Amino acid sequence: MTQSVEGTAHGIERLRGKTTLREILEVATSFEASARDFYAGLIPKVSKRIRYLVEELAAEEQVHYDLFGALAQRGDISEQIQAEIERPANDSQFSDCLHLPNLGEQPDDQAVLQYAMGREHAAMRHYEELAQTTPPGPIRDLFQYLASEETKHKLELEKIYYATVHRGGGV
Amino acid sequence: MSDIDYKDRGSLLNPLKSWAFFGRPPVTEPLEPRAASANYRGFHVNDWEKCVGCSTCQKVCDNAAITMVRIPGLPVDPVKGVRDERPAIDYGRCCWCGLCVDICPTGSLALSREYVHTCTEEQISSYFVLPDSSGMHGKPFGLGWSKTADADLVDLGRQEMRELEPEQRIGNFAEIVAGYDDQQALLEASRCVQCGMCHDACPTHMHAPEYIRAIWQGQIEEAVRLIYETNPFAHVCGRVCTRRCEDACSIGKRGEPIAIRWLKRYAMDAVPHERIKQIAAAGKATTASGRRVAIVGAGPAGLTAAFDLAKKGHAVTVFEALAQPGGMTRWGIPEYRLPYDRIDRDIDVIRSVGVDIRCNVKIGQDITLEELRNTHDAVLIALGLQQGRQTRIPHSEHEKVFRAVDLLNKITAGEPFELPHCAVVIGGGNVAMDIARSLARMQKQQYGQVDVVVTALEDQQHFMADPDEIKEALEEGIVIRDNCGPQGCEISASGKLIGLKTWKVLSIFDEHNRFAPRYDQAGETIHACDTVIEAIGQFADTSLLGDALTESLEWNRGRLKIDAAGRTSESWLWAAGDMVSGPDVVTAVADGHRVAASIHEAMSVMEKTK
Amino acid sequence: MRPENYQSVSQPPSNEFELFYGPNHPGIEGNYALKVRVHGDEVTSARADGGYLHRGFEKLMEGRLWIQNIALVPRICVPDPVPMEVCYSLAVEELGGIEVPLRAQWIRVMQLELSRIAAHLFFFGGHAATTGMYTPMFWGITDRDLILDLFEELSGGRVYHIYNIPGGVRRDLPPGYLERVSKTLDYLESRLPDYDNLLFTNKVFVHRATGIGAMTQEQALEWGVTGPNLRATGLAFDVRRDDPYLVYDQLDFDIPVEAAGDAWARSLVRRSELKESLRILRQVVAKLPHIGGAIRAPIPNPLAWNLPAGDVYTRVESSKGELAYYVVSNGGDKPYRVHVRGPSAMHAVQVLEHLATGARIEDVAQIMFSLDACPPEVDR
Repeated sequence: MTQSVEGTAHGIERLRGKTTLREILEVATSFEASARDFYAGLIPKVSKRIRYLVEELAAEEQVHYDLFGALAQRGDISEQIQAEIERPANDSQFSDCLHLPNLGEQPDDQAVLQYAMGREHAAMRHYEELAQTTPPGPIRDLFQYLASEETKHKLELEKIYYATVHRGGGV
Repeated sequence: MSDIDYKDRGSLLNPLKSWAFFGRPPVTEPLEPRAASANYRGFHVNDWEKCVGCSTCQKVCDNAAITMVRIPGLPVDPVKGVRDERPAIDYGRCCWCGLCVDICPTGSLALSREYVHTCTEEQISSYFVLPDSSGMHGKPFGLGWSKTADADLVDLGRQEMRELEPEQRIGNFAEIVAGYDDQQALLEASRCVQCGMCHDACPTHMHAPEYIRAIWQGQIEEAVRLIYETNPFAHVCGRVCTRRCEDACSIGKRGEPIAIRWLKRYAMDAVPHERIKQIAAAGKATTASGRRVAIVGAGPAGLTAAFDLAKKGHAVTVFEALAQPGGMTRWGIPEYRLPYDRIDRDIDVIRSVGVDIRCNVKIGQDITLEELRNTHDAVLIALGLQQGRQTRIPHSEHEKVFRAVDLLNKITAGEPFELPHCAVVIGGGNVAMDIARSLARMQKQQYGQVDVVVTALEDQQHFMADPDEIKEALEEGIVIRDNCGPQGCEISASGKLIGLKTWKVLSIFDEHNRFAPRYDQAGETIHACDTVIEAIGQFADTSLLGDALTESLEWNRGRLKIDAAGRTSESWLWAAGDMVSGPDVVTAVADGHRVAASIHEAMSVMEKTK
Repeated sequence: MRPENYQSVSQPPSNEFELFYGPNHPGIEGNYALKVRVHGDEVTSARADGGYLHRGFEKLMEGRLWIQNIALVPRICVPDPVPMEVCYSLAVEELGGIEVPLRAQWIRVMQLELSRIAAHLFFFGGHAATTGMYTPMFWGITDRDLILDLFEELSGGRVYHIYNIPGGVRRDLPPGYLERVSKTLDYLESRLPDYDNLLFTNKVFVHRATGIGAMTQEQALEWGVTGPNLRATGLAFDVRRDDPYLVYDQLDFDIPVEAAGDAWARSLVRRSELKESLRILRQVVAKLPHIGGAIRAPIPNPLAWNLPAGDVYTRVESSKGELAYYVVSNGGDKPYRVHVRGPSAMHAVQVLEHLATGARIEDVAQIMFSLDACPPEVDR
């Protein structure tokens, strides 16, 4: 994992230097691209049985990639995100106690989900932290928006995790 | 005797006294219909929200005035016992006796205080009416004859089942439920209104109304014959079925549903085993087909399929990795719920129709799936969900953290293990209850006291466990702490497991009933214990397929992809049971029938190559 | 051709006629028909014909569940349906060993006597009408309607109450019901002098009814006559007193009798009986508020209810006479056989045929009505 992943110190530094909304969104979009590529790379490694999961994760990152990319092209970025951060997603903390697993060569479905939730969690924290250290204004709003997006994604993953692990066989 | 003497010849003047009536004002009745009495038996009204289309009104109608009419667009839900049919009344036949109202299981039917209907010849069909809650002519006349407790003809109360008291059962694995005696069974069976909701709801569509009727008529062997038409796991399902039938039962809409499961159990227990074998074998093919079928996994799905296929004359071999057949019914369900000798009986019946069951054979190790493919016309895998899910919370890899299914396995096998003095179970399903209650019994036997805590994310209302299980577990001294989100196992400095840390769950589902947990971190609790048991879920171990086959098969969200008949994307391979349909005995039985039919059909057009 | 078809037919003499009395005749109830042969004005023979409107009840009952028959039985006697319901219920209860709660027994007595009054009012009108007097008919029907009001309030049905059920009754009394019964009783009592003036002390009616359709006590017993018709021949036999059912043994009432056995005597007996019924009802109204408890014993699901094999004979005193049900169960969920001993079967067939023979043609309707026969009861 050599990419500049969300949540790593390297990633934070890359963002801190940016001063325009478009620049920030471009970096954020590149994070999504790297995540997508990571999951895409994982597809052939996992058992076909759980490949759907990794494929869905890659697709989900692609959706974020497209979303941020499209936003960056618009002239009214701040108005767009203003509406979104009015109703930020709340972190449930459900999966926070889980280990971030070493995915290894043949991860199972639970490990993949744990990993994905861990990534989203780190990204969420990282955007939150940037928002806190940025003075009020469009840039802070953007960080809050990105944090909220990552939180939403994490919540969706938790639903899948609960259905797969906790409700999968409760005879 | 009379104050008028017979010989009294009367008077000519007396009748003239009636002329006084000419001086009285005439009585004039208005033309409008007069108000009918509060109990009036007028036209029908039917609350469509309450009505489930069970057709009991039709059955009690002594004039055949009621026809059930399908109403497209109304909800249909076999699981809840709801049909899209509503009664229509032919007022050319109705005699307004109101028995339909008195027997209506849901209480949706009533008669109104309206009683005038007339029409011209062209509108003669207006006497055939589909009543709803708006009344015959859409005018509010109010309800007349409607359901009262006095007149209710539905027997809402179930025959009580005798059970061991908590103190009698906690120190042993004796079966808790005593079963109905003849009289109780007859009375319970007599409550049935034969609506057939149970049949629709049952995954394998058991002929419950028919066998209940047979029990009521005292024809117990006939009941067993009807049971075997759809379910060779009759003893098992008579004891531990999830009984969707009872959830759908019309009587259950206002009262206690018919105890369909206990009636099945009664019939199976009442008929001698050898006779059951004869009944089950009826209709078995007299000549061998020359086809060979291999089945992997001797659980309900695999053995049901084996039973069907063997009866059709095919040579069926079932391979079981464990020491005895039965699958989860033997290795998962404790003996106090399902005695092993009852499983043995079901399996003996299945064996008696010619099924060859080979235990202790691990496919993938002792024999490969490829070998089975090469030596048989068809292969069915029904592996079940044998592997326990792990929480993977911090320190959950500790050696004193177990999976419930593994321990239940050991208990069935009689394998010794270190019995915890104080156990915490994670999970709110039946498996969690099974392990908690089994450990409690062993603790009582060995340590003289019970110390088991069940923790679960869900609140008790949302537990997946059967409410009876929860009730009985509590009676047996098991502590249930709901709304506990596991956060980690607590380990002492010396590396001993000392507890389970949980956070208080404020709520687990959002308003759309989707998973959206909210925690209260101030509600952190350490549940002290020496052993943690994870009972959160199971999954299938499909490693026996091997990499190549796993790659070539089609999958559907973690489960083998099968067509409606249970066939996988490989034409020689079928899959059934919990591994494809989720955990449920009777669903597995239904699966078994389905794949057996599919395999039989496929083999009948297959060329004999082996 | 067979010999009987080419033998010569002897024609009746030209002064003899065969007349059809009914099935649509104002002096005959329902669809009943009487084929009379007259010689001048004198009836020389009569043949009864039950008609086709209501028939086959007994057979129909064999195809219906025990409980479904409660909707069928009241139709066997339209003017007096309650005894049908009660008697059938008593039979089923005896077969099934069901103990009927006391309150239900008192309510049944109340219904039975209300029904008897309604039937007798009907009779007053009918008997009067067959002698050419129609005002008592209007009065009788109007006053009977007040009782039907009470039945509607109690049971939801005016004529076919379908209120009794094996085990008891289907509804408890509505609030204030007994006061309304009491008021109706007051009113009916106040009307009795009117009926007396117009009918029972009316010289025309008395003369018209005296000596018509007379039978002796011996004949009555031989022909199976029961009820008021039997009591009008001097025999004080009443099932309510001589074989008590429900709570009749706790009630105080007299059995009116007359000796003459003719239409006038039959009318007088019914007039007195109506008063006795009012007397019984006064006692019921006073007693019922003190009888609590259930109105129905629990019965199994009607759709799965087998009665033990066996046979029972239950009887009650209807307004027409002794009504009995002979019910056979073979252990199933429907009657194996039901026989209804309707009093009208005797009164309207053999008794009427005997009494009509030798009577004058203008008296036939009065004889029929004075026997108070109910046609659907004849051909059950």
